[in-house]
Amino acid sequence: MSSSKGVSTAAYVARRAAQKEKVRILYRRALKDTLNWAVHRHLFYQDASDLRDRFDANKHVADLDTIDRLIADGEAAHNKWRHPDPYIVPWAPGGSKFTRNPTPPTGIEIVYDFGKEDND
Amino acid sequence: MALRAALLRHVRIPVQTLAVTGAKLKQPIGFLRLMSSHDDHLNKEEVIERVLSVVKSFPKVDPSRVTPDVHFQKDLGLDSLDNVEIVMALEEEFKLEIPDKEADKLDSCNLAIEYIYNHPMAG
Repeated sequence: MSSSKGVSTAAYVARRAAQKEKVRILYRRALKDTLNWAVHRHLFYQDASDLRDRFDANKHVADLDTIDRLIADGEAAHNKWRHPDPYIVPWAPGGSKFTRNPTPPTGIEIVYDFGKEDND
Repeated sequence: MALRAALLRHVRIPVQTLAVTGAKLKQPIGFLRLMSSHDDHLNKEEVIERVLSVVKSFPKVDPSRVTPDVHFQKDLGLDSLDNVEIVMALEEEFKLEIPDKEADKLDSCNLAIEYIYNHPMAG
C-alpha cells in the first residue's frame, strides 16, 4: 500500500515537473514572439505585461488535468499567432550571417592602415 | 616560382603598427565596446559586470542583494516566469540565442555567467 502510494507520489511529482517546464518554455516562446510582433519597444512592454497577466491568471490551478488542458490551449494559441518571420540572431541557423563570413584562419592578420605606415 | 620568391622577399608585414592599435584598444571596460563580431572574446570581469547590471535592472529585484553567486528564485524571491524574463534579457544583452532547454536550466547568476563566458558567440 505504502509503496503504491510512493509510486503515485513520484508520478505526481514527475508530471508536475514536466508541466512546469512546459509552461516555462511556452512562456519563453510566447514572450519572444511578443517581441517579434511589437514594432517598437514601448509597445512590447504593454504586450509583455498582458501576456504575463494571462499566465498569472491560472497560477493557482491545482488540478493536473485542468493544467494539461490549459497548457494545450496555450500552445495552440501560440501556434496560431506565431510570427511568420521572427527575429533570429545573425549567426544562428536561419540568421542573415549563418555560414557566411567565416573567421580567417589563424596566423593571418589584416592591418587596416591604408598605407599610413609608409609615411611614419 | 622565382618571381614568387622575389616578391615575397620584398613583402613586409608592419608588426609595430599592430602593437600601436593593440595599445589603443586596451581601454577600461565600458568605455569602448566593439560592435564587430571579430573582436576578442569577452573577459570574465566584463561578463560578470554586464550580467549583474542586467539582473539589477530587473524591476522586481532589489539591486543591493545581487551578487555573482545569487540564485534567482531562492535568493531574490522571483518566480519561474521572472527567471525566463531575466534569461531573455541576458540573451538580448549579449546578442545570444540560447536553445529553450538550455535557457530553462539557467537559474542562477553563477550559471549564467559561466554559460555566457563559455559561449563562443557572446558579444
